[in-house]
Amino acid sequence: MNRKEITKPFQVEIESKQKQKIEVKMGREVSESCVDSLLTEMVSTYCNRFYANKPELAARRIEAIGYQVGHQLSERYTMERPRFSDHLEAIKFICKDFWSELFKKQIDNLKTNHRGTFVLQDNGFRWLSRISLDPSLENAESQDPSASTESKAAQATSMHLYFPCGIIRGALSNLGIPCAVSADISNLPACSFVVRIKA
Amino acid sequence: MQFFGSAEISPSPPVPTTSGNNAHMMYVFNRNGVCLLYREWNRPLRTLNAQQDHKLMFGLLFSLKSLTAKMDPTSAERGNLGVPQLPGQGCSFHSFRTNTYKLSFMESPSGLKLILITHPRTGDLRQSLKYIYNLYVEYVVKNPLYTPGAPIRCELFNTSLDQYVRSIA
Amino acid sequence: MAPVGPRSGDAIFANMERVNAELFTLTYGATVRQLLTDLEEVDEVNKQLDQMGYNIGIRLVDEFLAKSNVSRCVDFKETAEVIAKVGFKMFLGVTASVTNWDADGTCCSIVLEDNPLVDFVELPDTCQGLYYCNILSGVIRGALEMVSNTSSFAQPSIPSFLWDVSLKTEVTWIRDVLRGDDAYELQVKLVKQVPEEYPYKDDE
Repeated sequence: MNRKEITKPFQVEIESKQKQKIEVKMGREVSESCVDSLLTEMVSTYCNRFYANKPELAARRIEAIGYQVGHQLSERYTMERPRFSDHLEAIKFICKDFWSELFKKQIDNLKTNHRGTFVLQDNGFRWLSRISLDPSLENAESQDPSASTESKAAQATSMHLYFPCGIIRGALSNLGIPCAVSADISNLPACSFVVRIKA
Repeated sequence: MQFFGSAEISPSPPVPTTSGNNAHMMYVFNRNGVCLLYREWNRPLRTLNAQQDHKLMFGLLFSLKSLTAKMDPTSAERGNLGVPQLPGQGCSFHSFRTNTYKLSFMESPSGLKLILITHPRTGDLRQSLKYIYNLYVEYVVKNPLYTPGAPIRCELFNTSLDQYVRSIA
Repeated sequence: MAPVGPRSGDAIFANMERVNAELFTLTYGATVRQLLTDLEEVDEVNKQLDQMGYNIGIRLVDEFLAKSNVSRCVDFKETAEVIAKVGFKMFLGVTASVTNWDADGTCCSIVLEDNPLVDFVELPDTCQGLYYCNILSGVIRGALEMVSNTSSFAQPSIPSFLWDVSLKTEVTWIRDVLRGDDAYELQVKLVKQVPEEYPYKDDE
C-alpha cells in the first residue's frame, strides 16, 4: 500500500452528511475500561509483539498514534474558539479545557522557564493510577545491584507514556506550535510532562 | 442464569462482621489451576513447601466440590464421584468450618477461585469475597503491566487486600 | 440471601467510570491507521485487530462478571444473550441484540445498530477488505472463551483428569455499515469445547 494514500483515512469529516450525526453523538460516553484496555493492548501489541527487541521503534509508533489523536481532539475542541495569542495561552488551554475533556480534571501545576520550556504536572495521572510494580523488586533493589527487573518494569511503565506525550505534541502542533514532549514519573502516580517548544 | 447476591459491590465494601486480625491466608487460583496468589497473614504451622501446599489446597477444593454435588438431594443431574464439576455446574459449597479455622470459597464463571482462611468464628464472607474479586479486577486485571495468567505481583492489590482483610476478619 | 436477577446493563453503565467517547473512537481509529501503515496488508491488519480484541476480551470478562453479578452462565445461549445485552451496554453504552439462532443453539448473530467505534469514520477506497471493527469479534471470542459453559454442553462422562471446559467460538462479520449494510452483524458459532487438564500430576 502506498503510504501517501493513507495519510488521511480516518480524518473527521465535519463538512459531510455526517455533520448532523456527529452533533447528536457529541457528549457520548463509553466506560473508562474501553479506553484503558485499548491502550494497554495497543502498547503491548507494539512493545511485546511487533517490536519486542526494538523498544525505540515501538515507542515511535505509539507516540505517532498519540500524535494523531491529540491533533484531531485539539481540532475538535478549538473549533469555536478564537486563535491563541501566544504559546502560554495555548499551553493553558491544554492544561485546563483539553485535560478536563480527557481526564475530568485539570493539570495541577504549570511551570515555565519563559524560554519555551513548560512543565505540566498531573498529581494523579489517570492512566498511571493502576500501574503497580512488583513489591518484591523494592527489596531486591537494595540487595541486588543489577536490579535489572526493576529497570525492566520502569521501561514497561515508560512505554505507557509515549501515548499521552504524543497526544500533547499532536494537540499543540494542531495549534501551530511545534514542540517535543517527554514525561517524568519519578514519583508515581504523579506525572510531569515536559514541553519544549521548537524555536 | 444464576446470580450473585444483590449487594452493590464497588465502591462500597460490605459492612464488617468482625474486626481484628483473624485472617490466616488467602489463595487465588485461575481456571487452569495455576496459583496466581498466595498471601499469608498469620500461619504458625507450615509443613509443606509452597508448591505442595498449593496443590493440596487445589485438590481439596476439587474433591469437595465433587463430593458436595454428589450428595445433593435436590438435583438429578449429578456427576459420578471423582468426576470434576464444571464451574457453575450443580451445587457448590461456599465455606466449611473446622474447630480451628474456616475456609470461604468463591468461584467466578471465568474459573477464578478465591479462597480465604480465617478464624472459625468468622461470619458469612460471600459478599467479602465478591468485593475481593472486584479488587482483583481494579488492581490486577486493570494494571497495564499485568499479564493474564501470570502470578500476581501488584503492590496496589496487596496493599488494598491486606487493608480490606484486616477490616473483615 | 435473596435471589436476584442480573443487574441491568443500563444500571451498571450508569455506575461505571465513564469517559468521553471521542477519545476512545479516535484512539481506535489512530491505532487502525498505524497498523495499516506498519503492516501494509489489510488481511494482516484484520488479524491483528482480532488478536488485540481477544486479549482485551480475556481481561474484560472479569470486570463484566464482577460488576454484572452474573455468577454462572447455564448454556451458550444464555451466555451469548447476557454478553450482548449487559456486556455491550456496560462497556460501550449501546445495546446489542441476539438473533438468528440455529436449531441446535450453537450459532447466532449479535446485531449492533449503534456503534461508537465508527463515529466520524469513513473508509477510504484504499481500505477494501478491511474489517474496521474487527477488534469486536476478538473481544467476543476472548470473553466467551473465558466463561465456562456448563450442563447443557457437558459430556455425560468427562474423564476425571479434566477439570474445566471452555467455549471456543468462531466470530465472523455478516453485515458492516462501513461496507454499505444497514447494521453491524457478527455471527458467533460455537466450534467446540476445549477441555483443560487437571494441572497437577497424581504422583507429584
